[in-house]
Amino acid sequence: MVGPRRRRNQVDIESLIENVANAVTAGLTIGCIYGLMCIGLGLIFGIMKVVNFAQGEILMLGMFASLYLVTGGGILAFLGPYIGPFVGALLAGPIVFVVGALIHKFLISRVSGLKTAGTIDDGHFGQLIVTLGISLILQNGGMIVFGSTPFTVQTPLSSSAIEVAVGYGDASVFLNKAKLIACAVAIAVAFALYMVMEFTRIGKALRAAADNPTAATYMGINVDGYYRMAFGMGCGITAIAGGLMATYLSFGPFVGFDYVIIMYSGVVLGGIGSIMGAFWGGLTVGFVQQVSALVLPPQLQNAAIFIVFLLIVLLRPQGLFGRSAERA
Amino acid sequence: MLEVSNLSVSYGGLRALTDVSLSVAEGQFVTVVGPNGAGKTTLFKTISGVVRPAAGKITFFGKDLATISASERAHLGIAHVPEGRQVFKTLTVRENLEMGAYPAAGQAAWSRTLDRIHTLFPILHERAGQLAGTLSGGEQQMVAIGRGLACAPRLLMLDEPSMGLAPAVTDTIFERVQQIHKEDGVTILLVEQRVAEALELSDHGYVLETGHMVLDGPYETLLADDRVRKSYLGLT
Repeated sequence: MVGPRRRRNQVDIESLIENVANAVTAGLTIGCIYGLMCIGLGLIFGIMKVVNFAQGEILMLGMFASLYLVTGGGILAFLGPYIGPFVGALLAGPIVFVVGALIHKFLISRVSGLKTAGTIDDGHFGQLIVTLGISLILQNGGMIVFGSTPFTVQTPLSSSAIEVAVGYGDASVFLNKAKLIACAVAIAVAFALYMVMEFTRIGKALRAAADNPTAATYMGINVDGYYRMAFGMGCGITAIAGGLMATYLSFGPFVGFDYVIIMYSGVVLGGIGSIMGAFWGGLTVGFVQQVSALVLPPQLQNAAIFIVFLLIVLLRPQGLFGRSAERA
Repeated sequence: MLEVSNLSVSYGGLRALTDVSLSVAEGQFVTVVGPNGAGKTTLFKTISGVVRPAAGKITFFGKDLATISASERAHLGIAHVPEGRQVFKTLTVRENLEMGAYPAAGQAAWSRTLDRIHTLFPILHERAGQLAGTLSGGEQQMVAIGRGLACAPRLLMLDEPSMGLAPAVTDTIFERVQQIHKEDGVTILLVEQRVAEALELSDHGYVLETGHMVLDGPYETLLADDRVRKSYLGLT
């Protein structure tokens, strides 16, 4: 009688280890993609101090941009279903960058930047209404243009996995190939942005314009021009994340709503104003979301995010990476 | 090089400057003195284009600045070291100086000006990698002046560099400003509340009171003026 029971215990532990290992790896891969998505929002807020309520719809535009590039008669269709979706996601960046820069030129610039600096609310009320309006227009415009049937950027990679043994009995981790590549692309893009922000003249000028717009103007930095670039970049980066997510997710014009909440929690967790902190914030959110699936039903995953969110904000109100540059 | 003529500025109906004229010739050291609220900072902000004038004209090397945006004015060689320092707190000292060298002229002269800035303010070399916001007030003022120098300016405008600094530090700052003027031949326009020291350094002084230019002349003339002696120098 002892033999079978021990055998069963071992199977239980094996499957437990397997579940945990799979949840952790899924959390890390999805977390990196969320991290990239959060950087977009964090960049816009960090540089311009504009809270963009339309960032979820920018994510949606990134998904559709990638979809139309890659599928059907799209110009990237020749790349095939293996490479195409990821190149499409990267190209969604520059396309949505232009969309973002135009939105800034015609709408956001009127309620932000040097124009509203020093007014009673620094333009925040105007920004709230304008970005909320853009969000609604893009959602419903998307409904008209794209329709309501859910789409996904088909790639055979999303239904195949690499199996890696964890080193305990038969337990092994399944790494979804599409998510794995998406994660690698997300890390590469985030790292490239980090290098640009830290070491290039453009990056430094962006940070200077964020730090003190008036002083930046005295240095000859065209602050409104850099703000436009920041807004475009923020949109482009979230769009790349959208394109990557489109390979494993079915989406429609209203997909942004689910993710804008994740983006906000990621940005706040990372520390408001810290651009690279937003990546770690997004990673944390993705990780918590996936790992909580071990013990919680899927409907409660977002609740788990907010419990962790509240705990972190309670313990570190400045966020994980928020820091003070003021002399004490 | 800089001609300000009949300049008037208002903030939403409130007159800050009325009919102000001022001129700075190349190589000169010009000081504007006056009490709090006289409009000295407004005058500077209008010259660098952050505040729009209601009337009057500003020319720089004969060029009317009315149509030139604030950020482009820096590219003409006008460096503005603002009141209260306004360093980029979240950037390192070195990055602050690099941003000062943002205009093409500054980039071209970068390695030479950086050496010069480090000679004038050795502490900035030591603190190169530190965030500017963590520096002391005096050090931040040095960053601000260094940042102004980094653009290889034709006109360096200093708005109250002594503000909030200990007297000893102020003396150093004034000494350096004089060095920048004498040794580097930079034209300087200075706004100061420490009237005696400021006027002593300068070739020409202006007295600004409640938005009006009430007096101007060389150092000796101003020093001989009873109002200046009484109100600003505490002499009788």
